[in-house]
Formats: sequence, structure tokens, C-alpha cells
Amino acid sequence: MEFSRRKFLVGSAATVGGVALADHLRFLQPASVSAATPESVITGTETIYRTGHSNNCDGACGHMIHVVDGRVTEIGPAHWGTKTVSGAAAPTFHPRICLRGLSQIANTYSPNRIKYPYRRVGERGSGKWQRITWEEATTLIATNFKQVQEKYGKKAVWIAPYTGSLALIEGVVGAGFRLASVIGASAGDSEGDNEGDSATPAGWNYVLVDPDNPANGGGFFTGHESVDFLSAKAIVFWANNVAETSIPDWRIMLDARDANGTQLISVDPRFTPTSAASDAWLPIRPGSDTALIDGIMNYVFLHKLYDADYIRRYTVGPYLVDPTSKRWLRANDVLPGAANDFVVYDETDATLKAASDPSLTSAAILGTYQVGNLRAGTALQALADMVSKYTPEYTEHLTDIPKAQIVSLAKTWGTVKPLAVRVGFGLSHWYHGDLHMQALLTLQAITGNIGEHGGGVTTFAGGLTTTAFDLFNWWNPTGTPYAVLEPMDFCDAVLKDDPYPVRAAWFMIDNFAQQMSDRNQVVKAMKALDFCVVSDYNLSATADIADLVLPACTYIEKTDLLSSNNFYLQYMPKIIEPLFESKSDLDAIRLVAQKMGVGRYFTETPETYLKQILHLGKSDADPTVRGLTWEQLTTEAVHLNTDPMPYVPFFNKQFPTKSGKIEFYVEMLVPFGQELCEHQEPIEASPTNTLFKKYPLVFLSTHTRFRTHSQFVTLPWLNEINNGGDGFLEINPKDATRRNISDGDVVRVFNDRGDMKVRARLTEAIKPGVVNCYQGGWDTIKVKSYIEGHPNNLTHQFAKPAQALIPNFPSNAAYYDCLAQVELVRE
Amino acid sequence: MTDEKTKYVPHHVMVVDTNRCVGCWTCAVGCKEINNEPLGFWWNRILTTAPNQSTTAAPPASENIDVPRGVFPDLELAYLPVACQHCNDAPCVKVCPVQATYRRDDGAVLIDYERCIGCRYCMAACPYGVRIFNWGDAEYAPGGIVGYGKNYYDDGRLVFTPERPKGVVEKCTFCVERIDVGEEPFCVEVCPIGARVFGDLNDADSEVSQLINEGGAVQLHPELGTDPNVYYVPVRKRVVRES
Repeated sequence: MEFSRRKFLVGSAATVGGVALADHLRFLQPASVSAATPESVITGTETIYRTGHSNNCDGACGHMIHVVDGRVTEIGPAHWGTKTVSGAAAPTFHPRICLRGLSQIANTYSPNRIKYPYRRVGERGSGKWQRITWEEATTLIATNFKQVQEKYGKKAVWIAPYTGSLALIEGVVGAGFRLASVIGASAGDSEGDNEGDSATPAGWNYVLVDPDNPANGGGFFTGHESVDFLSAKAIVFWANNVAETSIPDWRIMLDARDANGTQLISVDPRFTPTSAASDAWLPIRPGSDTALIDGIMNYVFLHKLYDADYIRRYTVGPYLVDPTSKRWLRANDVLPGAANDFVVYDETDATLKAASDPSLTSAAILGTYQVGNLRAGTALQALADMVSKYTPEYTEHLTDIPKAQIVSLAKTWGTVKPLAVRVGFGLSHWYHGDLHMQALLTLQAITGNIGEHGGGVTTFAGGLTTTAFDLFNWWNPTGTPYAVLEPMDFCDAVLKDDPYPVRAAWFMIDNFAQQMSDRNQVVKAMKALDFCVVSDYNLSATADIADLVLPACTYIEKTDLLSSNNFYLQYMPKIIEPLFESKSDLDAIRLVAQKMGVGRYFTETPETYLKQILHLGKSDADPTVRGLTWEQLTTEAVHLNTDPMPYVPFFNKQFPTKSGKIEFYVEMLVPFGQELCEHQEPIEASPTNTLFKKYPLVFLSTHTRFRTHSQFVTLPWLNEINNGGDGFLEINPKDATRRNISDGDVVRVFNDRGDMKVRARLTEAIKPGVVNCYQGGWDTIKVKSYIEGHPNNLTHQFAKPAQALIPNFPSNAAYYDCLAQVELVRE
Repeated sequence: MTDEKTKYVPHHVMVVDTNRCVGCWTCAVGCKEINNEPLGFWWNRILTTAPNQSTTAAPPASENIDVPRGVFPDLELAYLPVACQHCNDAPCVKVCPVQATYRRDDGAVLIDYERCIGCRYCMAACPYGVRIFNWGDAEYAPGGIVGYGKNYYDDGRLVFTPERPKGVVEKCTFCVERIDVGEEPFCVEVCPIGARVFGDLNDADSEVSQLINEGGAVQLHPELGTDPNVYYVPVRKRVVRES
């Protein structure tokens, strides 16, 4: 044996150092692996590169990519830089990877890769293709786009958002938007919040952001840096299956529990791996989330567990509300000589004052006061009154959660601080998803948990949610922005010319025809297009019905930058040459742009664009990246300069609202009757709905660890452990027995919009009355993850008008707000 | 030989904290990658189980993933990653007629692929069901050999080769090719939750020693007397439902 204790220990230390060293040298230096010669072994010199995994799962892991002779042979987790751009110490952040990231080798070399440009030769959706050249393909695109624009107007060409990537050049903020703006086309929402991910951001903006202030750019959405959860004393996972879908983040939650005894609490209609590993699980009726929050607040008020000082200083709680108009009382209307200001009641001298009155000592946060001939209460009083009916009994009635559990959670919320909430986008997949978030923020505000380490309400946060990148000039080199056409507005634009005709579309890494809700309608609209082009690395359901498909690169084959869901800048070098005839989207766009007369906006390399977007080396670079050098960017994953660190939004308690305070009383929602977060039943998935008799099951389509949306679907490694790649419907044995359904039976899931067939999986993990089919499986010509159809055959596109108040988050696909019936299919 | 006696031999053990494991299969996919395991082969599998349930005969691990025990809403769910337990008193070693399977001094149980005659006695003897036989020509995911990719010899014995030939038994090697150069087994490196710890049990200060001596980590089926070098920290917390 060759071991010595010393050697082993030194060796161990060298591992850490070795990886870090490789990190530094990652882009250039071989890792000196000796070659072997026999057959069936890898020979040649190995080079190791660091990159970021950009495939829209918000994990944003760092990958070490091992390459031998131009082929990827190994992917492993990468270390993070230990410094910020300006050289301060960055928080400790563990290397992270998951089964999907490891599977990127198989994804890159998948036989399902689109290898060449293809033109449709049969009917749309017939799967008949003819290989063509890039020259022919890009000419076709340019010609068709020009024809459509001449006939129907510039905006009739729609560049669809890249939901499949979070990178900068080719991702949710990518080059497609630049193309749209220079050709005057319309494009999907560049906030990356299209489809089902904008209801909770809208709710967040109601309370924390003034959408009318240009400085807020139409609304934004951010959260706490993931390592900030280490400071929490309790963490509530609200509709958030972190342990399955954001696996590396779960480590942080467990580290918090181990270090601080942090309580982990799961609120979910399903008993998920997260629920199983938490200290408490509240099995909630889907869509009754706001009722539970209102019930918690009622308890907090009754037991005076709110944070009076915080409410007084940082929220609109003390401001008086006009009882007739429900709007704020204005000081200049009711106090002689006062300015246009909020009105408060000073407890010290029992007088009404303007909020900015220097003589104010202690504004009352609760109570109703005589103002002229009105009895006006504080906003907090209005909230306390509203939630007063949400007794534990009534809340149990609405949520199906035993009242003792409701009281237990309410006690925790009122007494444990700081308390953090992690919210999954599942909470956004509801018509009233905005209200869910409004309610959570209201509760966090009255318990003093906003803008504090270990508090807040977080879905994600990272470089992309900061001001680090000059996206406006990247998207709009002419200064004229593209027209935004939301994904939810696509069908009407194509089929009804509302708000204007759309006749051509380019989908870039966006599986719109399968992942968008109300799929039958979406496919109908897509088939009605004059011209449709899809860039993807896989022959997706969207590519199936295109006129032209272009072979795109995976994240390993092109240069980019990733800065999502964490505050590191992860440079993504081109590690291997594009496979087959694939091209980066930037290169594909360049060819089209040249043929449309706008090639001058696409002359630069990705490296140059990255420098421009970062204002690299310029004095006007954003403070988060000021002083960054190209060498720094390309040699380590450097942390942005954030204040504080770990990043916490509104840590300085400067809220960009009209009042400068947390507006849990939302005046602009008065016309919608939603100024306070009173529970409202789901638009469809409610027993109060008349449809409920016909379709008595709430139909969820949640995420699985084996996929990121519809990516990684056909990979054999993952399918071997994912039921052979066959989708299934989770159904409680109670609901199954009633329908004579046994485990493994084929069932039809249906409602008035559509249906699907899939095998039943009987499991106690799902609440009776609820069924779930993991979304993202494929229904393409060649690959059927379900026996027939897809969950989105059943979902709808009901948009909530109130959301339109927030320009960047105006509509949302309420995937989960969906009723269905399930019946046995006789085989 | 006298020289070797002066060399320090560590006692390699792995500890899996089942409080941390969430059944994500990252370790298993990592294992598949680093060892270039053929389609259908899993040296490392994650069983869906209840907290602190020991198990021997593993069902196909990919069946009923995440299906809990109990009746809604009183449920239990835990995960148990199972690969070779690297037993100090390994039944597989005892039954191997050609000494292809052997226990290395550091505790790793290895197979010399050049000696294995494919009799599969070891598979019958292993109480943990972790060995896989190469019945035919292996199929692989497209893209070529992945992972370590080279032959690795332990004292002249071929204990790793990227494509194991037809007719041999294969299983987890504790990543000997990695630990011998001071790296961690790949499942430990890739585990996103920090649920796996590898180290030297001779070193009382090592994390593994602490987890075993003070953290209550236990062996799988200790009553069998196999004395594995893989330990599991039992689940301490369960879902609390007050009603």
C-alpha cells in the first residue's frame, strides 16, 4: 500500500487547493492527466474549464467541465470565488451541482440534438423535414420577416422569450430582444417572468414598489441571497419543494438548522421531500393560501404579537384611511394649513397630525379616530378588522388544516424572529397569485421581517435582479425599445389581431407549444402563423410545428455570462466547438440581421458585448461591478459588490413606494377591492365554482427533480430512475378507489379545455381531492412522456386585471388554478 | 515488505447523514458518470423508505420514488442511499473462489476484473444487493466514455476499467483511483446537500470519527456481523403534526 498518514492528509489539502487552482487556470491550463493506451479508455490530454450552468432552474451551479480531444468527459461542481469585485470577503458558498447538471454530458451528446437547419416539407406538424444550409435558412427567415412586417406592420414579428436559459447573451435577457428592437418587432417580456411566474412578482410590487415611478423601471422582483437563510430562526417553505427542485439550496436550510436550531416548516398540499424533511408540514387546500395567512394574522393581532415599533417606523400602518373612499386621508384635506401628506393620530397629545409633522412623537398604529365628521381608522386597524373573521375554526374550514396546526404556526410567526419565507413559483400559478404574495408580505411586515437578515419573502435573487447590467442599451442600441407582447397575449394577437396582428415568430430555446398554458389554443395560434422559426438544441414540441428549425448550441458550446440566483458572475467560455452544424443564437441572429439590413448591430463578439453590458473598465459601471477587470471576470466566479452581504433587499429600509413605507394597504388596488389581502377563492379550482360538480379534482402540474421544465426529458440516465421516463398522475387512493382506479391503470384526465392520458400512481403523498402530473414531459411527434397529451392541454389563460398595474408583470398563466375529472381507461 | 509496514494505512469509512439525504439521486448519477456505468447499471441507488428503516434486498430503486408510508396526512418518508458497504468481514470476499474480490487494508472491498470468473457467488452472498453482473455487451448513453476513463491497478490488480467486460461482476470501488490521490469519492464531492462524509476512522478528530463515535452513525444490518465501512446517521427529526 502506498499510503502514509501524512500523504493522505497532504493529499486531502491538495484536493481543495487543487480544485481551486484548476478554478484559476480553468480556461487554459491542462490538468496533466497521464494517458493510457489500451482500447476502451480515454486517452489524450485533459483540460478543465469552469463555467456556469445556465439552464433556467435558478440553481445557477458552477460546473467544472473536463475535456479530452474536444469532447466533454466529465462534469463536476466548481468552487466559487471568495472575494467581491472590490476585494471584500464574499460569503461562504459551497460548490453545487445536481443530477440534471451532471446529465449535461448526455444532454450535449444526445441523439435528439438538432444537427442541421431544416425546412418543413410536409403539413405543419407532420414531422417531414428537408435539410438546408444556414445560408438558405437565414435567407428564408429574413425574407419572411420582411414580408410579414410589410404586410401587417413591424410588430407582426414576435421574438419569443428564451425561457430555457438564464444567461446574458443568450437567455432571458438575451440577443433576441436586441434583434426585436432593431427591426421594430415585438418580443416577449424580457423580465423572464412570462407564463406562470409573474403573479407573485406583481403582488410583491403592489406592496414594495411604486410602479409609476420611472426609477423602478416598471417593477422588479428580488429576494434574499440564498446564504442569508443561515440567519433565519424559522424558515417557511410556502409552496416550495426546495429539497427536490432547488436541491443545493436545501443544504443551506439544513446548515441553518444545524447551526441555529432553525425550524423548517412546509406548507404544501403534497407531502414532498421538503415536507418530509421539515419539522412541520401543513397540508393546505390548494389555492387557500391567503386564508391561512389571514388566519395567522388574526392570531398575531389577538395576541399582540405584531412588531409595533417596526410597523410605526417602516409601514403605512399608522396612516388613516378615509372610510368612504377607502383611500388615504390627505392632510391638506383635513388639517388646516397642512401639506399633501398622510394623516396620523399622535397618541402623546391625542391630536391628528400630518405624518411629517416634526411634533409627532408616537403615531397610533391601531384605533379609529374622529376626523371632522368621519371616523377614520389606521391602515393597520383596517387590516386587523379584515382578518378578524379568520378565526382558527374558520381558517381550518377554508384551508383544511387542523386549527391546532394553524395556531402553532401563528405562534411561531409571532414569536420567532427572524423568520424567512421561501416561496415557490407554484404559489404564482394561481389567478390570485398576486394576492398570495401581497398577503405574505403583509404578514412579514407586521411581524417586522422585511429588510432584515434572515427574514423576507424570497423566490430568487441574484445578479440579474440587480442593476449590474446595462440591459437597456444592450437591447435597444438605437434607443427605441421593442414592443412588449406578453406570452399571455400571443394567441389573441395571432387569432384576433388583438392588440395588433402577429404573423411570424421566432422561438429561441422556448418550448412555447408545450409549456404555455391552454396548449390547444396555443398550438392553434402557432399553426395560424404565416411563418414560425424555432432555435433549439432538441426537437421540441414547438420545433415540431415550426416551418424552420435551427440547431442551437448547449451552454458548453458558446461564450456567455451567468449571474442568476446568486450574486456571482460566472463567465461561460466556449469550451467545445459547436456540435454538428449548430450555431450560437447570437451567430444565427447576426446572419439574419445582415440580411435584414441591421447587421451593423451585431458585429461584435460575445466578449465585447459582455464588456459593453458591464461597462467594464468604465467609471459609469454600476456600483455592484465597478472596478471589475476582464481578467477577474474570466479567472474566478467573483461576487458582486452588494450591500449588505449576504444581500437583503431593503436592508436600509428605503422602500421605493409612493409613501417610502411598506404599503400593505395598497391604495391603487381599491378599485379592485384588493387594498387589503382578504382571501379570495381561486377563479376555477374552488368548491364554490359551479364547475366543481363536473370536475371535482384540483389538477396540479408541479416540477420534478428529473427535469428543468421540459429540458433533460429524453436522457437515459435520468429516465432509468424516473419511472422509465413515463409520466404518471399522482392520485390519493381515496379518490382512486371511488373511480375503480388501481396503481398503474391508464386514466384520462380531462376538463372542457382538453385531456390527457397517463398511468395512475396511487400515493398518500397527495391530498384527497387533488391530483398532480409532473409538467415538462414531452408530447412530441417522436417522444411521448405521457400516453396521450400533456398537462397543459387542461390549463387555461385567465389573466387577472389588477396585475396590469405592474407593467413588467401584467399577466400570468394560472397553471394550478385548474379543475379536472379523472376516469379509468379500459385497456 | 518491511518498507510497507512502516507506511500508515488509514481506515477509510463513509458516513451518510440520512437527516440530510433528500433522495435527489445526484450521488447516483455522479457515480454513473465517474465510473462510466452502462445503461441499467446503478452501483449506487437511493431507496425510498421510512426513517431509520434498515433494508437488505433492495427492490428496483426507481419504483415508487417518493411514495411515503402511512395514510394522508400522517406520513413518513426518508431515503437510504445504498452502494457497496465495504464490509470488514465481507461475505463476498469469503465466497469468491478465485480471490478476485478482496478487502484492501484501508477497508475498500475491490474486484480484480482480470481474475473474476463470473460465478456470481458474491452476488448471492451479499446481503445488501449491491453487485451487478455483466450478462452481455453493455450499452451506454451516447457520447463516449465518461468519467475517470482509465484503467486503475491496485498493487497490480485491475480494480477499475472504464468498460467492464462481459462476464464480470461490478460495484462501487470507494473511488479508489480518486482516494489514492487524496480526492474524495465522487458521490461525496457531488452531493449537493453535504450528506456524505468520507475519511479516516483511525483519526479520532476526523469528521467521520465524530459522526460515528458521537453522532450515533450506525451500520446497515449490524446483526449480520459484516461490519461495514459505510455508516448512516439516523434521522433525528420527524414531521410533527399537531392536531
